[in-house]
Amino acid sequence: MADKNLTLAISSSPHLRSPDTVSNAMRDVLLALLPITLVSIYFFKLHAVFLILVCLAAAALTELLFRKVMNKPSSLDDGSALVTGLLVALCFGPSTAWWTAALCTFIGVGIAKELMGGLGWNRFNPALFGRVSVILLVPIFSYLSSIFVSMRPYLGEIDMVTQATPLALLKQGVGMPGLFDLFLAFPGGALAETSALALILGGIYLFYKEHITWEIPVSMIVAVFVVALIFGQNPLYHVLAGGVLLGAFFMATDWVTSPITSKGKLIFGAAIGILVIVFRVGLGPTEGTAFSILIMNAFVPYIDRVTKRPKFGEVAASQSASVSAGRPVSKTS
Amino acid sequence: MTVKTFSQGVFLPHYKEFSEKKSITTIPLPKEVVIPLHQHTGAPCRALVKPGDEVKAGQRIGESDAFVSAYVHASVDGKVTAVEPRPYFTGTNVESVVIEVDAKQSKPAWQERDTSKLSIDEIRAAIKDAGIVGMGGAAFPTHVKLSPPKPIDAFIVNACECEPFLTCDHRMMLEMTDMLLEGARLAQKAVSAPKLIFGVETNKPDAIQALNSKIAGEAGVELVALDVKYPQGSEKQLIKAVLDREVPPGKLPFDVGVVVQNVATCIAVYEACRYGKPSIERVLTVTGDGAAKPQNVLVKMGTPIGHIIEQCGGFKGEAGKVIMGGPMTGWAQSRLDTSIVKGSSGILLFSPAMVAETEHKACVRCGKCVDHCPMFLYPNYISTYAETGRFDLADEWGAMDCFECGVCVYVCPSNRPIVQFVREAKKQIAAARAARN
Repeated sequence: MADKNLTLAISSSPHLRSPDTVSNAMRDVLLALLPITLVSIYFFKLHAVFLILVCLAAAALTELLFRKVMNKPSSLDDGSALVTGLLVALCFGPSTAWWTAALCTFIGVGIAKELMGGLGWNRFNPALFGRVSVILLVPIFSYLSSIFVSMRPYLGEIDMVTQATPLALLKQGVGMPGLFDLFLAFPGGALAETSALALILGGIYLFYKEHITWEIPVSMIVAVFVVALIFGQNPLYHVLAGGVLLGAFFMATDWVTSPITSKGKLIFGAAIGILVIVFRVGLGPTEGTAFSILIMNAFVPYIDRVTKRPKFGEVAASQSASVSAGRPVSKTS
Repeated sequence: MTVKTFSQGVFLPHYKEFSEKKSITTIPLPKEVVIPLHQHTGAPCRALVKPGDEVKAGQRIGESDAFVSAYVHASVDGKVTAVEPRPYFTGTNVESVVIEVDAKQSKPAWQERDTSKLSIDEIRAAIKDAGIVGMGGAAFPTHVKLSPPKPIDAFIVNACECEPFLTCDHRMMLEMTDMLLEGARLAQKAVSAPKLIFGVETNKPDAIQALNSKIAGEAGVELVALDVKYPQGSEKQLIKAVLDREVPPGKLPFDVGVVVQNVATCIAVYEACRYGKPSIERVLTVTGDGAAKPQNVLVKMGTPIGHIIEQCGGFKGEAGKVIMGGPMTGWAQSRLDTSIVKGSSGILLFSPAMVAETEHKACVRCGKCVDHCPMFLYPNYISTYAETGRFDLADEWGAMDCFECGVCVYVCPSNRPIVQFVREAKKQIAAARAARN
């Protein structure tokens, strides 16, 4: 009062904050992806390192560029661009052309996220949106291939077994790796398909840090298992091979693009799981998980609305209303 | 010991260690007190005094004919120097009586009464005359709350003190146990409730012991130990935990046969019934990581917070934030000439390090607010719709049922000022509803 020099901070209540921040959560997601990243580097050496670095750099540069153009403050510190970059890299096989991966990252971070308003406003998972866009753009790739220099000669030879993904092998019914190899470590398909165990470890870490809950991974994996059985397929193979585990732990659980409530998450996860097998059986061996998650992303606002829970006291109120309405007349007379 | 609780909510750091072991003390009187004529829920009072009048401590200086209102009294002997709008702790100006405090204060001559002979109407009248309001912060007139229009089967003493830092209720439970019990019984009698229940959080084991030793073996009186979870002290959550009854949206505790009063209010009820003493002083906690000498003090209503802070040793190091009330629902103060009112439970002094960041980001839909909201609302949707001006949708997702406990903001990783958005939404929704009618 008398002290004119006293400067006091003013803000609305509450005046306490938990230590949780988006940056911390994204850092934990990057940490959770570390095991699978290391396994992929173990198998694919410089090819994996190069692909990952290209995607991380593309993600950061894309976000910087878009925010600069849109005159918004940089948001690199929230770490979400790096998560998208790493996820994009992990979805590709080691022989992928660097510019394909970079383009995929650019579309994911730039169009699916930043143009939608930035982190939180995107309806679709950025990494998967980029991924699927690139698949649709494949026809123009042969032209692009001719103008870009392949990096492969500088990075060493790739083990040829990696050229066919386990799911493709499953489709052909030849040379399938054993389930145990698939679970522990097997150099097939994309970077993220090299070890189910590494993905599960990452998922457990995210669960332990309370960044994800059990509903989406469990309902999605159970649905994949059950529907694969119904279609007469080897259910374990469908769970362990391809993108199911990466999708279940790291992509379908993306905060921004998944439902809020427990019930909503169960519906969302199960629907993805069903679609995965439908796509794999009906369309082709790859990209089932990416398509499924992306399709269900579009349903999230609707799922939130139909799974809206009653407010505190609403259930009790309706119960007591029905009890009094249904009270037998004879008792009171 | 069975420990009960409610669904959702959040475990906060307690921060009670600063002041929970400090006995209640008094401080010297200030030079002047500023007594707002509207410091309660309901109609404002009109002044009964004018500048130049001599007043005595306990003299009624403001009243209203409205049922939902509470008289205000001079808290000291002195001379009225002004009746004018003065800064109020919520940031507005409120018509207030300014009293210059006499150097020599007379000893108040309270009339002692045998409280056991008081009828229900006499208890209510004593409370109304004393101008008592809920002292936990809500400041709802107590005589109104103790005149419920429906039969009551349980009177609950809210002894949770669930806000971090605050310890005044805890100290009162220890140092004024008999007064608390007696006041609670009087309030219980006023609502003709067969049951009296104390709800206490388990981080006050000494208070639980003190109360249990007094009520042991008594029929119809019970102490329920509650988990230390915020906002356990919110009426609806307290009733849910203690009796497993849910107060429906838009309804009040008496709709489920319950009346709740906090510790300080019960003690004020006792003093009003026993001595005819009005609500002119209260115990509050001066604490915080920036407080030089955290403590619990008994102060006169209308004492400027600057005086109290000074008498309690002021800031330890640099000043960051001064909060009137608890850290979750209290009000940040921009100036120190606002004064203590009946609902003030604490003055918190935060160091700059403790001051929360105000920058916020977009909602990332992590769902933590939804998982923790004690009212089962959707703070994520409410805040985003309020931010984008879609107040109709904010209403649809439950804005009007929010009681602004602050849990959502505490857990939000994007640091969104959700409570602020809710307040704006409530204002706009109320305006839209009024325009429709």
